[in-house]
Amino acid sequence: MAISSKSQVLSLYKILLKESKQFPSYNYRTYALRRVRDAFRENKNVDDPKTLEILLNRAWDSLAVIQRQVAIGKLYSAQKTVVETEGMKKAS
Amino acid sequence: MLGLPAGVTVMASRVLFRCARVLALSRPLVARCPQDAAAALRLARRPLSALSCSRPERRSDQAWISGSLVQQCRQYGDLPPLTLENIKDRVMYVLKLYDKISPEKLQVSSHFMKDLGLDSLDQVEIIMAMEDEFGFEIPDAEAEKLMTPEEIVQYIANKKDVYE
Repeated sequence: MAISSKSQVLSLYKILLKESKQFPSYNYRTYALRRVRDAFRENKNVDDPKTLEILLNRAWDSLAVIQRQVAIGKLYSAQKTVVETEGMKKAS
Repeated sequence: MLGLPAGVTVMASRVLFRCARVLALSRPLVARCPQDAAAALRLARRPLSALSCSRPERRSDQAWISGSLVQQCRQYGDLPPLTLENIKDRVMYVLKLYDKISPEKLQVSSHFMKDLGLDSLDQVEIIMAMEDEFGFEIPDAEAEKLMTPEEIVQYIANKKDVYE
């Protein structure tokens, strides 16, 4: 159980981060990435199977929310913020 | 004549006029009389078809010029060929940019968890950064075995068919 749940958690973490990166809006994107990272770190020492299950269920629900909001965000894409355009200039 | 675009008719009349003049100059003595001038004009009507034939040629000429310009402007988004050295530099660059790794401590052989004090969540993020950098997916089963920069370089080299 322990090993399989570990790889399960890690793959869920990866999926959540990947999905959060898709947000077109800078604010939602950075918030989602930060929130996912913080939430996983906050609970990284949880061993109790029951709590773990509750947390994992919450993560799956959040994944659904993120996916839906990304899709909606893509329908109503807004202009890029100043922060992003500055970052693009530096990168190129 | 009426069916042709305005530019063609203007050009046609201009060529007609020039042909008439050339003919008139080549036969200066005869061309003085009006009947011959009319004959010259009648002759000069023939180049009209030649003119309409020469137009597409000009157009293709222009197309060729713009085509060569387009080719000059075109840029190919290809990266320089991958070598082991090249992959290593890119991997180390990505790792240095990761905020939880201090660049001074980072070695090619340093273990992410034992030497750099990262956890498995950080390792997942590192693998994701590598996926972004090299543009291909690393499956979870193989990703969890990659624990040092060396191993990542070796894995990417194998996947991209890069050998010494």
